[in-house]
Amino acid sequence: MTESSAVIVGAGPAGISVAVTLAECGLQTTVVDENPLAGGQVFRQPPAGFQRAASAVSDSASRRGDELRRRFANLGDRIEFLGNRKVWGLFDSRRLAVANAAGWRMIQAERLVLAPGAYEFVPPFPGWTTPGVMTPGAAQLLAKSMHVLPGKRVLVAGTGPFLLVVANCLHDAGVRVVGVVECTTRSEALKAIPGLLSNLALASQGWRYLRRLRRAGIPIHTGHVILDAQGQEQVERVRFAPCDADWRPDRSRAVTVEVDTLCVGYGFIPRSELAQLAGCDMRWADELGGWIPATSEDGETSVNAVYVAGDGGGVAGALVAEYQGTLVGLHIARQAGAIDEATLQARRREVVRRLKKLRRFRRTLDKLSRVRPGLTELATDDTVVCRCEELTRSEVDIGVDAGCATYRSLKVATRLGMGPCQGRMCWPAMARRVALRTGRSMEQVGLISVRPPIVPMSVGELAEPESAETIRSGGSAT
Amino acid sequence: VNSGQDVTVVGGGIAGCAAAYELAKRDVQVLLLDRALPGCATSASAGGLWPVGESVGLGCGIIYSAAQAADGNAPMSPHVLPEVFRDFLVASNDCFPDLADELLERSGVDIEFAPGRGLLFLMYTLKEQAIVDSIARGLPTGEVMEILSPEDVFDLEPSITRDVVGAALLPGEHQVNPMLLAEAYKRAAIAAGACFLHDTQVTGLRRKKDRVIGVEVGDQFFPCDATINAAGAWSGRLAATAGVELPVFPVRGQVVLTETLPVVLHGGVSTSKCYLTQKSHGEVLIGSTTEHVGFDVSVTRPAIASLCRGAIRTVPMLRDVAVKRVWAGLRPATPDELPILGEVEGVRGIVNATGGFRTGIVAAPLMAQLVAQVVVDAPLSFPIDAFVASRFAKNPFGTSVHSSPDLGRS
Repeated sequence: MTESSAVIVGAGPAGISVAVTLAECGLQTTVVDENPLAGGQVFRQPPAGFQRAASAVSDSASRRGDELRRRFANLGDRIEFLGNRKVWGLFDSRRLAVANAAGWRMIQAERLVLAPGAYEFVPPFPGWTTPGVMTPGAAQLLAKSMHVLPGKRVLVAGTGPFLLVVANCLHDAGVRVVGVVECTTRSEALKAIPGLLSNLALASQGWRYLRRLRRAGIPIHTGHVILDAQGQEQVERVRFAPCDADWRPDRSRAVTVEVDTLCVGYGFIPRSELAQLAGCDMRWADELGGWIPATSEDGETSVNAVYVAGDGGGVAGALVAEYQGTLVGLHIARQAGAIDEATLQARRREVVRRLKKLRRFRRTLDKLSRVRPGLTELATDDTVVCRCEELTRSEVDIGVDAGCATYRSLKVATRLGMGPCQGRMCWPAMARRVALRTGRSMEQVGLISVRPPIVPMSVGELAEPESAETIRSGGSAT
Repeated sequence: VNSGQDVTVVGGGIAGCAAAYELAKRDVQVLLLDRALPGCATSASAGGLWPVGESVGLGCGIIYSAAQAADGNAPMSPHVLPEVFRDFLVASNDCFPDLADELLERSGVDIEFAPGRGLLFLMYTLKEQAIVDSIARGLPTGEVMEILSPEDVFDLEPSITRDVVGAALLPGEHQVNPMLLAEAYKRAAIAAGACFLHDTQVTGLRRKKDRVIGVEVGDQFFPCDATINAAGAWSGRLAATAGVELPVFPVRGQVVLTETLPVVLHGGVSTSKCYLTQKSHGEVLIGSTTEHVGFDVSVTRPAIASLCRGAIRTVPMLRDVAVKRVWAGLRPATPDELPILGEVEGVRGIVNATGGFRTGIVAAPLMAQLVAQVVVDAPLSFPIDAFVASRFAKNPFGTSVHSSPDLGRS
């Protein structure tokens, strides 16, 4: 057992917030993250030696990130940060198998907080495996952290405010952004304005991103969807067309643009592997990005002493993640006896009030970015839908039509999801297709089975005994 | 039960799917109820068809006995099962070449039956060689087992370590894809008129006097003329709901699967630490533990490490190969390690197709035929006496090799 009150997986806004809250209550925590520095995807720090380019849009989010990270660093004596660590397994619900370059070891968590964040949703479409097609997040990572330009002429496409962030980031980095293609129709966006204005700070931030793109002469095609990407060695052309409210394109009005890079992403999917390995009860939440662990308001899952905070428990953005992290932190601090009930209730009330204030904004955005059926119809019969096993859509359809209507049965019959990604990449889109095709609910078609190792590990690494690396809190679990 | 009557099969693993097919083929109205519980043994099976290898204890059995010996619980010894069982497995194994064609034709599914050079048991020590020698003496003469020198081994399998004292080759032992075998049986059964209800958790059997009259799924009742107990590791629990005592208990097996590789193995390889088999899509499956831990399907660190160490010792190039996943299945075990087939003394309307333990895949074709023959009252293609449940009544623990702590709870 560790001397830490909690082991936190993920050092994004949610994880940092849990650690900071606990540390401020005088408790020790251990934070494990795959990156060398804390910050997660949204507040990612450039590697040492790189100066972060001042964001052209000075946004409250990056200020919040700096502030959180500052508090995190100041409380360093109570927070043990284990960067560059991959969690490859979870045993007996709270024993983490944690690896770094030198080896791996088990960390037994007295309490386990999962703050793994989310990954981008990209449904298959013709040409999506062509080099030069990448997610907006990947492009942002290249440009922001590695100072590598993803391409010369880039189209940014998909849905959600993140597209605007990335388009700005690429533009600032000197990339020629030829346009932003957003599925949401203009009329739907207009209807959402009152809801978005319920949070002026966030709404104005979005507005500033939008205005900067307009000023740079970057066209924003609302109500359009990507049809395909063409090119042999590299993307050469991308076609997109106007779409209806279900995001079904009118192919007769397709437009072609010449680009060398397509950044495409349709929102985010919660990373649920660890929650599933812990044995948490899972539920389908379309508006929050997919399957999430069922939790209480304070992030308690169905498994004793396992908590979830942030996008991994339902995609809602950095601010909500931070507040949820605070709630989890307060709950654990009370459990550990570091604060009294009155303090808990007083502080909790304040955070819950802030979360409530965000509710209308969030719901508006959730509704706007809800995945529509048109996206599942972009692939054609010969489009590869499972990249690991190189399965085409028609190969999967044959399995579906033979009566396989669950992840498990399709996997057996077609090898969908049999590859190293264990279905994380293909199943979110294929599940929707199977559900539509068979008239079943997403609950009925089910979720992927998660097996360790959830990150690449070799036979040799798994054969090794635990490394002798000293982790202050992580006494070897027995 | 006659043709045209209703039979309900409980369990959609290999035993249930195969039984459903053999019954439907004989014009029996079949309804199969399945709730894919975590730990279904079919999904964690390597698909090795090792009738002699397993019945003389050179498959999964020797890993268990070596582990027991390492723990100081027992001396490592050959773990030879009765001759009748070996004959039974060999007869079942002989079904596969034709079965592969039959199922492909009726279901469209290729079960990936791959005749190779046979099962290779590697001997690392003189002690292991002595065990193999004593096993060989007990086998009929003929081409059942061949002893190879280290040079022979290297010629056959260049990827294998040269650090062996020799190997035993069992030439008739091949492999299939166990999940596709179950899927093929299932689709062929459906094509022959069987009905499958998935995601359906049977809660119990309904018994009236000396007869099981149907199957309960919560409030729902499915009446039938006969019920096939193919509930795998759970079949003891199922039988208990009808007041039938069936000594079936779960024995966990953990397996490790690598990424897809070019050909590194040309057939199954077993050792006293692990077995390895390369599947037709190129993954190498490394199995398997034999653990009495009840219905716990979790994987454990020491088991994964031990299997991986065994694999690297056997095929050194595997060290740098990525592991795709690790998981576990619950084998339906019995005290004497033989299956439980056929009717139950004193209770009519229930027919067992369970206790496949380590050999559920290779035994599936013949088990299913026998079960169907029992149901339609046809002549049996293999004597069933050694496998009926009543053998335990005479001796409640059979000729138990290992006592099981789970027996009472099954």
